[in-house]
Parts: sequence; C-alpha cells; structure tokens
Amino acid sequence: MPSDANRLHPLSAVTLALQRGLTGLSMPFFVVMILSTIFDGVDIDWIFMLAPVGFVVGIGYGIAYYYRFTYAITSRTLDVTSGVFSRRSREIPYRRIQNVDVSQGVLYRIFGLAVVSLETAGGGETEATLNFVSEAEAERLRAEIRRQTARADDDDASSDERAASASGSASASGVDESTRHERSHPDRRPTLLFELEPTELLVYALTSFRWGAAVFPIALVIFLTSADSGSGLVPAFILEIARPVGGPASLDGAAVGSLLVLIAVTALQWSVATYVASAIYTVANYYGFRLGRAGADFVYERGLIQRYSGSIPVDKVQSVTITENPLQRLVGYAGLWVETAGYGPESSGGSQSAIPLAETDRIYRFAENLTDVETPRFQRPPTLARRRYLVRYSAIAAIVVAVAFGLAQGTGLERWYLAVAVFVAVPLAAHLKYVNLGYHVGEEHLVIRSGFWNRRTTVIPYYRIQTVSTRRSIFQRRLGLASLAVDTASSRTFSWGTPTVPDLELETARELHGIGRERLQSAVRERARSDETGLSVDFT
Amino acid sequence: METLHPRIRLLWIARGALAAVVLGVVLTAIDQWQVTVPVVAIGGVVALGLVTGTGYALRLYQVWQFELQDDALYLERGVVTFVETAVPFVRVQHVDTQFGPIERVLGLSSVVVYTAGSRNADVRIPGLTPERARTLQNTLRELAVESEADDAV
Repeated sequence: MPSDANRLHPLSAVTLALQRGLTGLSMPFFVVMILSTIFDGVDIDWIFMLAPVGFVVGIGYGIAYYYRFTYAITSRTLDVTSGVFSRRSREIPYRRIQNVDVSQGVLYRIFGLAVVSLETAGGGETEATLNFVSEAEAERLRAEIRRQTARADDDDASSDERAASASGSASASGVDESTRHERSHPDRRPTLLFELEPTELLVYALTSFRWGAAVFPIALVIFLTSADSGSGLVPAFILEIARPVGGPASLDGAAVGSLLVLIAVTALQWSVATYVASAIYTVANYYGFRLGRAGADFVYERGLIQRYSGSIPVDKVQSVTITENPLQRLVGYAGLWVETAGYGPESSGGSQSAIPLAETDRIYRFAENLTDVETPRFQRPPTLARRRYLVRYSAIAAIVVAVAFGLAQGTGLERWYLAVAVFVAVPLAAHLKYVNLGYHVGEEHLVIRSGFWNRRTTVIPYYRIQTVSTRRSIFQRRLGLASLAVDTASSRTFSWGTPTVPDLELETARELHGIGRERLQSAVRERARSDETGLSVDFT
Repeated sequence: METLHPRIRLLWIARGALAAVVLGVVLTAIDQWQVTVPVVAIGGVVALGLVTGTGYALRLYQVWQFELQDDALYLERGVVTFVETAVPFVRVQHVDTQFGPIERVLGLSSVVVYTAGSRNADVRIPGLTPERARTLQNTLRELAVESEADDAV
C-alpha cells in the first residue's frame, strides 16, 4: 500500500528560498570581485546587475527544491526523492534503520517544527534528513516507522516459524510470544523507564568535564578583545590577574619564570571557565531527560532550549558502556550508554546516552538487566603490565625534564631541575592505570574495563563481534604480553577506540581470542534457531 | 599457513625507497631555503632510509601469513606491532580483488575483505597472484554466504 508522497512543511519552502536566495545574492560578489582583478574587461559595477539576478535565481531554486523533495512511507521502505536537476531517489528498508532522531531549535519550537534524521549503518553520514516538518508530522513519522518495522519483523518471524514447523522443530518460547505481543502494539504511549531527577542533572553538570566546552572561553576572549582593542595579542585582564602572583607586567622582555607563572594562571582560569561552560552546556542539553520504551524501541527526549528526541531500536544495540570519571566515582554515580552502528564519524553520538547519570549500583543493575550479563567478576592483567606503565610514564617524565633543560639552555630559566618532581607522579599514575584495568569473560558477554580519568566498562555480547585481533608491540613481545582488540560495528569506536584488553599474558590473550571466536559461532547458531534479540527492553 | 608471493618484496622495497627519496628531497629543499644541511648528512639519511626500508620490507614478507580456518579468515602480520586477526566468515560483508598500476606490472593482486566493524573494517591481503586472488575471493564469498547470520547490524 504505497501511501501518497509527502512534502516538507510549507514554511521550509520560505526558509529554503531565503537561504538559496542569499547564496545566489552573494555568489556574484565573489565571482565578479575575483574576475575583475584578473581580467580588465570585467567591471566591478556588474555586481549590482548580477546580484539581484542571483537572488531571484536562488529563490527560484529554493522553491523548486521544496517542490522536488518528497518522501513516502511504503510497506517495506521509506522513500526519499530529492534534487532539482539531478534527481536522487533513495529507498531505505525499515529493517536497516538504526536511529530516528528529532531535533528542535528554539525557533523551531516556537513555530512547532522539527528536523527528523534517519541513521543507517552504511556510509559516513546521515541517511536521510527531513529539514523540516511539523511537530505532529515528526511524531506521526516516528510512530509509522516503528509500526512498519514491527510489521516487517513480524512477517519475517512468521515466515521463519513456518519454515521451522515445516522442518518439525517449532518451539516458540514464552519470551518470544511476549515480545511479539509488545511489537504488535507499538502505538501505545511509551512506558517511562528512567527520568533524570534535578539532583542527578546537577551532579551530572558538576561532575562531567567536556573538553569541547574549551572553545567557549576562547570565543569569549576573542569577543572581548575585539570590543576593547589596543591591548595587543593578550587581553589586559589576563595579565592583570597573573601579576599579584608573579606574572609579568607586559609580554615584552618578560623573564621566563614570570611567563611560566602567567601560563599557569591563564591555564587555571581557562579550566575554570571551561568547567562553568561545560556545566551550563550539560544542563541545557540534558534538562528533562526521559528514557522510555515503545514497542521494541528505546525512546528518549532531552534539552532545555533545543529539544532532542529520538528512538533507538533495541535489537540494533551493539554494546553497552558504563562511564565514570574520578569525581563521579567519588560521589558514587555513573552513566550508561548504548551504542549502535548508526552514526557516522562526523556526527556526534551524544544522543546514544541511555542514562546520563544515576547511582552506580543502579547503573550496574540496569546494565545487567539490559544485556542479561552476570555480575562481572573482574580479572586483571598480570602485574608485569604495571611495570610496563611504570617504564612508559618514566619515559614521559624524562621527556618533560629534558624539555625543561632545553628551555634552561635557550633562555635564562633557573632551577630547571625542579621539573624532576614529575617523577613523583610516575608510580602513582602507573598504579592507577593498572588498578582500573579489568576484564570478565562471561557466558555470553565479554566485559572490558579501563581508564582512570574516563573509566569505561564495556559489555560486548560475543554475538556482536566483528573481528578479533591479538596485538603485540616490540615492547610487549619482550615481556611476553599481548593486547586483545575486539571490534564491533558500534560507531562509538570512532571516538572511543576499539575495545581492548591491554597487556595480557600471551597465552591468556590467545585463549580469549579463541573463546571470542567460538562463542560468536555458537551464538550465531543459537540465533538461527530462535529469534530473540538477547536484550531486554525493560531494563530499569 | 599460506605466505605471500615473493615478488611483493619488490613492491614494498620500492615503497620504502620512494619514502627515502622523498625524505632526501625534503632535506635538499631545507638545505636550499632554510639552513645548510651537509651533503654527507643528506646522503647518510637517504642511505639509512633505504636500508631500513629494505629490512622492513624483507621482515614484513617473512611474518605475513594467512589461512582459511573452519570459521574465520586468520591473518598474521606486522613488524613493529605483530597482529593476529581473525575475521569470522559470518561477519564478511563483501570481498574485493584490487590491483594498482605497480601491482599490475609485478603481476600481483590484493584481496580486500570488508566487515561492518568500525575501525580497520577492511582487511587487505596483498601479494597474491591474480588466479589465487580470484579463487580466494570466490572461496570467501561462498563461505560468507554459507554461514550468513540473520542480522549483524
């Protein structure tokens, strides 16, 4: 039953026309400007004739784009047809859709509009973006996609069942029945699984440190310096604040020592400003976070000014990760992330947060319920690994001292030998790195933990393994150690790296390598018999 | 375990030599426009680059091995970091054979195996004769189809 082709919201014709119109208006400026410097025949006055023409053409193009952009929900695929001159028609099978995300900026919210993006596993970018439709239409699309996906799955399941009963081994377990029952009623209002309490939001804002927020202070400083120019490269207030503790009066002819003080004070200021900016960012992005469940999908919504919402199909989840930084560990909180193959390397995976922050034991319980993993009993790599980190960090400390010595030679820096103090931190750093390592070889999952600053505990079902690698660097070979890298299709690994158990004994690494491969095979065979997802939707 | 075709050493040595020559050109450019670099130093660096590159190529050829096991394609490779990788047949998305201009001159071909994995998602087996590459591609394709999983991603 192919339904009618839909268009975007009529208002988007206006914005598209204006956008393209502006592009059309500005294009003659650049072209004529560049050409007039090269060719004598080109007159700069042409701009005034060409710019209005460009504007009109741009508006025409924008309107044409609106009329040439259609999308339709059919029984098997979502079709998007676009392009004014070169047409592109794209059919996305429902089964391949990973995430459906809806975002609404401030203006969008005022006018009741929304941008819908669909993610699939292939390619490096969003598969289809509907920019923009009305709020109601976004909701309808989401429900419709969910309904169609469930239907497609049901068709498959029933045909599977026929095949199974034909071969005389039909066995529909109670679990399967119940999930299918849920899936056939996906239109119900989502059941609430988790809601971020104000205290949790506050703790999250205060304990998470986003390095991305470091650009805000820079932007602010650039803005301020352009407002009161004349202070040169470094704004006056930076020098002012550092002066009482030994900073230089001006940059010209300042001693190295006082310059270092200036750098330290500025870095401190910057960190504080970044911290504040990151806290504000966190509150704005995660205010009103709610996770629910609709059919076999997780649905979330969050955001104070810009609203984000979306759905993540449970059977697309590749792995589950618990994150805790030292501050969060101190106050006993942790976060939970679910990872799909949906996002390209460019787009941020921020919306994959299943639970931004909650008490640690609750989070671990959620993770266990969600993946059905047993409570992990972590094992550690051999103590030889710690020795390795000791050597590694000593080498880094030696480089720091060497740089200080080099500075002392080039400039008049006195007491460069104080830099030796960094060696004090070496044993502590090596120990902290070591004690935060852990792995657990479960029945159906491999659990990997590592990191002190950003401790991540990742639960990887053997079923989701793509490749297994044992890696040995020259240093590891001397000590008889090896690292085991387990790759999944999760797109999080672009920023987090492939889940790796570092510095195992070679024998253990090879054994784990074998276990991973074996259990993948048995999981695949098991899946072929029954079609359960292995993940539980009601994990809270 | 199967090793690569010996001629792949030529390709890798050539690659190393090219890197050494580029290094030499860069040093000469620095000598021209920035600070004077003694000719002996440039020659020494290039010679060292050539020797290291050749040694690296020979060693890489020695360690590179692969095998079709029951459930997975298994590879061993790497000079600095030695890597043993298993690519389960169920996870193979598609298989390519490729050959560049230099490989063509040497009569060699590569097989590239793609998985849905996010990093190093493609595994390349270089230095195969075109016939071997084709049979390997066909075998891998059959094994992948045979052991097809329901839904990986």
